[in-house]
Amino acid sequence: MNLLQSEWIKLFTTRTTWAMLGIGLLCEGLFAGLFSGLVSLDGLTELEELETTEPVPTGTGLLMVLVLILGVLIITSEFRHGTSSSTFLATPKRWPDLLAKLGIALAVGVVAGLAFVLVNGGLSIPLFEGRGAELPATDRLVEIYAGVVVSFALLAAFGMGIGAIVRNQVGAMIAAIAFFFIVSALPELLPGSIGEYFPAQALGSLHGHVEGDGTLNQLEGGFVLAAWAAGLVALGTLLVCSRDVSE
Amino acid sequence: MPELEVRNLSKRYGKTLAVDDLSFEVEAGRVTGFLGPNGSGKTTTMRALLGLLRPTRGQALVEGRRPTEMADPLRTIGAALEATAFHPGRNGRNHLRTLAAAARIPRSRVDEVLELVELTGAERRRVKGYSLGMRQRLALAAALLGEPRILILDEPANGLDPKGMRWLRDLLRAQAAEGRTVLVSSHLLSEVAQTADELVVIRDGSLVAQGSMAELTAKGGVRIRVRASQPDQLATALAEQGATVGDVGEGGFEVRGASGEQIGEEALRQGIAIYELAPQGSTLEESFFELMGEEEDEA
Repeated sequence: MNLLQSEWIKLFTTRTTWAMLGIGLLCEGLFAGLFSGLVSLDGLTELEELETTEPVPTGTGLLMVLVLILGVLIITSEFRHGTSSSTFLATPKRWPDLLAKLGIALAVGVVAGLAFVLVNGGLSIPLFEGRGAELPATDRLVEIYAGVVVSFALLAAFGMGIGAIVRNQVGAMIAAIAFFFIVSALPELLPGSIGEYFPAQALGSLHGHVEGDGTLNQLEGGFVLAAWAAGLVALGTLLVCSRDVSE
Repeated sequence: MPELEVRNLSKRYGKTLAVDDLSFEVEAGRVTGFLGPNGSGKTTTMRALLGLLRPTRGQALVEGRRPTEMADPLRTIGAALEATAFHPGRNGRNHLRTLAAAARIPRSRVDEVLELVELTGAERRRVKGYSLGMRQRLALAAALLGEPRILILDEPANGLDPKGMRWLRDLLRAQAAEGRTVLVSSHLLSEVAQTADELVVIRDGSLVAQGSMAELTAKGGVRIRVRASQPDQLATALAEQGATVGDVGEGGFEVRGASGEQIGEEALRQGIAIYELAPQGSTLEESFFELMGEEEDEA
């Protein structure tokens, strides 16, 4: 508990965290407002029939990327600014601190996810309803939004894992974004269903965007993404515990 | 049992052997100066004692145990490693709060140490705006947070003004007087000369000398320039007593290994008048570098 508190203070006593979450939410809010107010309803209905997407929730993906980066920063900022030395002096075994960092990554993901749901749902649902659009059933909406919240938490953990492995701040941010959104999306192009087990498509399943034959359902997508995050965090923790801290 | 023990410690980084079979002990209740030129392996040794890096060979022990096995780390060891190791966007107080929370140290102690290092008033400013001296004080505050039994400070005097240096000296002396163990590194002997009871001198990762301040300065030998009425006779007499005597020239001669008192008394015995007795150079500094065999080293 004390380490969680320490990590929470670390995260929320820098402006970066507030700025990233603030800007992300602002953009999501603007987008949700404009999209649900202006998008052609005919187009949406058509999409709905194809069962690939639904009117809500639709986001820019910006907040999602920022949460991934925030996960990276939770650990790389310690190496970047040399605070890793004092952190690991307080926890010489190191892994308890990484466990606390994981806890904080998950928590900040949940908080950001809930904030997204509030902003997105709070704007899109009344706007769409006002325009007479047909919204998904309430329990379907809850499922989708729950998937969003879980995905944000897992993304932050995923970023923290990459950060622990790479250590260099810029390198880790690039690695996390490139791996998540580019490299792991490539197997989708391969024949067969191997791509489903890579983060990009698992995220899609978790969001409830991909439904159909041979694809993972929402829960399975969540498990696949969680397994990736857990693997990366475990590898990162092993590396941090065995490497020298010289910054 | 020594509070800190370095036993046959070696640390290799690629092809560089940063620390080479180094052994020494540090006792409680005294200030031990850890001296060596920049790049001689002081920081590496300190990091090994703090459990931040793994020795290639040998051991670094804290109270007889490996540093990673410390039960209550911040109450055992307080360390100030670098005055730059802060998140620039976080304020000084919050930096200390993160450490206090991790070690279950009450928040009131944060304000106490801020007052102790005289940072009250600046604690809510972001570290970005701190001077080097203020950062040193914040690093010290972090080290003192858990009222540790052992203090390890890496070049804490860097960036301090003369007033700050005096303050630091008093602080370290007070800590040692309370029975704590203090290991403080420096590349300048003059910085620790007035504070340290003991010295550990290293160079290229190896031990050069360890002993009390008095022992080491005598061993290094202060050079004294002597002008006298019969220089040749005095030089011979001093050489017979075991002092090292330089060439006798017009300006007199230089003696090493004899104190001013010994030279004066010998001159009296010989009935020789002394015109001048002058210690050469900044004595302590010089003897230190002679010990290290590198007079031209940057000081």
